[in-house]
Amino acid sequence: MEISSPMTISVKVMHRPEPESTSYLRAALSGMALTFKHMVNPTKVTQQYPEEQTDLHPRWRGTHVMERHADGRPKCVACGLCPTVCPANCIRLVGGEDDQGNRYPIVYEIDEFRCIFCGMCQEVCPVEAIHVGRHFENAEYTRERFVYDLDRLMDQDHPSTLLWDPSDPQSE
Amino acid sequence: MEMVNLTIDGKAVSVPKGTTILEAAKTIGTEVPHYCYHPGLSSPAMCRMCLVEVEGAPKPMPGCVTTVTEGQTVRTESEDARRHRRGVLEFYLVNHPLDCPICDMSGECHLQDYVHAEGRERGRGREPKRVFGRDDFGGDVLFYGDRCVMCTRCVRFMSEVEQDHRLTVVERGNRSVIDTFFDEGLEGTHFHGNIVDVCPVGALVSKDFLHKARAWDLTHTPSICTSCSQGCNIELHTRDNLVQRIKPRENLDVNAWWMCDYGRHNYEWINHGDRLEAPVVRGGEPSGAMSWGDALRALLERVESLGGSKVKAVASPFSSNEDLGALRALVEALGGGSILYRSPEAEDEVPLKGFPTLVRRKDLSPNRRGAETLGMSRVGDDGANGGLDGVAEHDGIIIVLGDGLADQAADFGANAGLYVFLGTHASEAAASAHVVLPITSHAEGEGTFTNHEGRVQRFWRALDAPGMARPGWLILGALASELGSGDAVPRSAGEAFSALGARVSAFAGLSYDDLGTRGAIVNESVSMTGD
Repeated sequence: MEISSPMTISVKVMHRPEPESTSYLRAALSGMALTFKHMVNPTKVTQQYPEEQTDLHPRWRGTHVMERHADGRPKCVACGLCPTVCPANCIRLVGGEDDQGNRYPIVYEIDEFRCIFCGMCQEVCPVEAIHVGRHFENAEYTRERFVYDLDRLMDQDHPSTLLWDPSDPQSE
Repeated sequence: MEMVNLTIDGKAVSVPKGTTILEAAKTIGTEVPHYCYHPGLSSPAMCRMCLVEVEGAPKPMPGCVTTVTEGQTVRTESEDARRHRRGVLEFYLVNHPLDCPICDMSGECHLQDYVHAEGRERGRGREPKRVFGRDDFGGDVLFYGDRCVMCTRCVRFMSEVEQDHRLTVVERGNRSVIDTFFDEGLEGTHFHGNIVDVCPVGALVSKDFLHKARAWDLTHTPSICTSCSQGCNIELHTRDNLVQRIKPRENLDVNAWWMCDYGRHNYEWINHGDRLEAPVVRGGEPSGAMSWGDALRALLERVESLGGSKVKAVASPFSSNEDLGALRALVEALGGGSILYRSPEAEDEVPLKGFPTLVRRKDLSPNRRGAETLGMSRVGDDGANGGLDGVAEHDGIIIVLGDGLADQAADFGANAGLYVFLGTHASEAAASAHVVLPITSHAEGEGTFTNHEGRVQRFWRALDAPGMARPGWLILGALASELGSGDAVPRSAGEAFSALGARVSAFAGLSYDDLGTRGAIVNESVSMTGD
């Protein structure tokens, strides 16, 4: 069958050097020279994780942290804005009243598996209670363990993410 | 009626003489912001939010009390009107705390809405805000004094509508605050839940709903209150497939804007789990839990093998007209028989003095009038107990719809040839039924109730039904159709209602579209027994 096409395709045929008539000695030597140079004066690229920890960027958004008051209570007032804004729908919140008459979260759970770490919960929080953190090592043996409850979120000891410059929070 | 022509925001409006500017603006879809004005209460014009620019007037006029005059030109959206409102809003925020994150009204608060729409971007206040703290008003009401904007709607509701002067304003100026008399509180009043509804901000909140859900999380479904035969129009506010609270829905013919506290808080039974979820057939082959098709086929086989046994049915005044009508059609298809129902009754009525149409009726079931219209007869006492001895020992076919039979012994229907139980919850007496069929509650399906005056009102589906539960009209309609009632199987509650109209003259000519959200009076008046 003859194919007639209005488009013409030009083909350029490349010729490899013939193996018999080509010497690779020079290339091999220059490669070995580079290896030798690195052996004498090494520039480390590989990081010896986990012995060496990575420096995370101040805006790294990882595992959440719940801030506490000085007396250990969570700063969260159960306003319900983070479950509302959360695009992954990974925050479960049940509000209630504590013995001092303050609104507080009876249940506050974040499913770190479902979370997409967008940081909108931190942005929307009116009392700066929930933060995303500079941390990523949250491996677990079961899926259930990825649902962090309030106590676990308060016990996280890694630094919180800086979503904005603290000296200029409104970018003015 | 003498009509007055005027112009509001450049649009020509024609309203009856004596109408206020605020109400006239509503007719063209313009809402003038307001706090103290409520259509069900008097207008003191004290919130100063509804200030509008009236051409020729030297100062802005309050729209809630200024009546329209011929040829008037009103501007609600002009730069001047907005400037006045912005000023008033700034005064409100001098003392109103910005505690929206912990305020239950957040999301449905009028101050939040108006400030967001046209308030100042940043506050200019430097002085500390006044602090009152929280006060328990008794009953279901908590008062957050800091949030109050002194519209006095609550005070006027108690004095004008409930007509029980329990609230007043004490002190003057910015120290003025709503308070109860001594320790009396609101305890013992029956309509005080409405002051939470009329409060435009979060000053009065419901203890029952405190911190329970955010306003924007709730799905609102129009429904009918099932707590008495008044048939108040309500909205079910649901979240996570649970009813979180009940709010009244405006219907000037039935309940206006109000409802009683008994109905308002009587919703836990809807959320009560432990439901019948699958059809069960017992005593014979096949038996056990099975699919709807198998269960109904087994049921029809047994009906056939019994051959013309007498039918006795027990219905419930908590079932919809559609369910009761389908039950009647089924009983007629089986050769006819008596249909009984039991209905709870209170000792006293509780009237709302300022709106006498609304009374918490003695009759505590939503659809007794419907059951009467469909020729069912009441048995048992005022606690909806007893009266079923004739049915319990009946040796023909027993059909129970909606009545849980909680007071009946486990040997209910022991002599019956066939005992069919359609219900939501299991009970001892239901456990002995040959066929148990799970049906939906009123919150899980559509239907209508007929209230005390014969008004047929629709309710809508607010929740998902548990398991395999199906509406009663569907199951009974399908059975009746199989047994030769002559009706097609209804595909929707609306069709079931139309089928009802074809059988019962009281419902003839009505359709779901006619009923709408306001309801319609049934064609014939029937005499209520025992009322």
